[in-house]
Amino acid sequence: MENAQLISLSRQMALQRQMDVVANNMANINTSGFKAENILFEEYVMPVARNRDFQRLDQPLSYVQDWTTVHDLSAGAMVQTGNELDVALSGNGFFAIETPAGERWSKSGSFQINANGTLVDLNGNAVLGEGGPIQFGPEETGILIAADGSISTSQGPKGRLRLVEFADPQELTREGSNLFAGGTPVAATGTRTMQGFVERSNVSGVSEMAEMIRVTRAYESAASMTQRQDEMRRTAIQRLGEPNA
Amino acid sequence: MKALYIASTGMSAQERNVEVISNNIANMRTTGYKRQRAEFEDLLYQQISRAGSTTSDQGTMLPAGLEIGSGVRTVSAPRVMSQGTVNMTERELDVAVRGEGFFMVQLPDGRTGYTRDGSFERSADGMLVTSSGYALEGGINIPADARSVSISADGTVEAFVGNAPEPMQQGQILLARFANKSGLESLGDNLFIETPASGAPQIGVPNADGTGNLLQNYLEMANVNSVTEIADLIAAQRAYEMNSRVISGADEMMQSTTQLR
Repeated sequence: MENAQLISLSRQMALQRQMDVVANNMANINTSGFKAENILFEEYVMPVARNRDFQRLDQPLSYVQDWTTVHDLSAGAMVQTGNELDVALSGNGFFAIETPAGERWSKSGSFQINANGTLVDLNGNAVLGEGGPIQFGPEETGILIAADGSISTSQGPKGRLRLVEFADPQELTREGSNLFAGGTPVAATGTRTMQGFVERSNVSGVSEMAEMIRVTRAYESAASMTQRQDEMRRTAIQRLGEPNA
Repeated sequence: MKALYIASTGMSAQERNVEVISNNIANMRTTGYKRQRAEFEDLLYQQISRAGSTTSDQGTMLPAGLEIGSGVRTVSAPRVMSQGTVNMTERELDVAVRGEGFFMVQLPDGRTGYTRDGSFERSADGMLVTSSGYALEGGINIPADARSVSISADGTVEAFVGNAPEPMQQGQILLARFANKSGLESLGDNLFIETPASGAPQIGVPNADGTGNLLQNYLEMANVNSVTEIADLIAAQRAYEMNSRVISGADEMMQSTTQLR
């Protein structure tokens, strides 16, 4: 009988995690370049006795286990900002960003130029070109970024943005600060850059709301199941404990 | 329940967003105002199981990790330094900058302020000052008996004095530009000052040195687009509402837990 309660407990714990994922997606609904996350569950079958000679065989019990989060890498809406340092990526590519901890990947293309003239992301990490960070001189005006990522200014060509793609983007892990880490990057072939645009978060408010309602209801039903199990046991104990039983 | 705290970070981020948008809308008619845009980033992730960790004795690996984010934060609200529309005012002391440069202004505390607001006035002693009364750097004096003033695209200020047929040169307006304009600090009063992030000003002559040129009788309007701002406001408000729904959803879950016995 306790098994039923433990199983619904495993379900409740998984649902709490799922709620955390929904909350994080919703919190980042306005974060540029954010990619929604989905959580996947797995059935965890309890091991049963191997010996099949018993009169009544062991019944397999399945618990639920949160197993993995997957990145929903579909494109977000492209919003025109008119800012020359806003770059959106159309395609599966990522920007390469140089952080103190090594190279990281990002989909968020709202860049700035720092005091030294280096192209940086919002945290001040250098955005990498094919030959390292991209440097602008004080006299340069009119920055143009072509569809293939090549940059030119009033002083001529400045190199190209380093865009990377991944054979299996699900290998990437998230680091916060709009950065992804890991994976095996290859030079992007099918990705185009769009200057003056920013890619919005791809979180869909409607489906996250629906997901949230589903999670809360499922949680409630698991909780009420636990309650009924408890009542059932209590009644059983009461009946069996009556002196004239 | 982490979801409660995660959703609360979302609500406070959207609150910031609305603050930035409402300041843009409030300054829709401010000369030379540059709009701001709130930028967000996701917070740290809790790695419950890492991608690539071994799942069996045979060396199979987890193809993707289990990671739970912890919300969002506002990272900055950089100014969008695009050119505002240039409107004709037919006032001879109104000057607009077309290009990158900023006018330099002497602040009362001795620092130099930078502004895109070119609605100048003459002070009592004939100096060219901003509408708040701060003198333009370089000290341009316009004689009391000047009939008219002309400011050329390269910043040369000339005045036709008395009955003289030839104009007299009164000085030159210089412009400053910055490696990172978005890094300037706003003082209010349409003024900016330099910061370590903006870099030092590079002072140049208008129409050369990449600072842009001047346009007399015109003023630069704010670069706020009301339609975009209202659309952003609606999006921010809805995002706020959805985050508050997540909080009440998480609360419902907690409630069903606490009612258990």
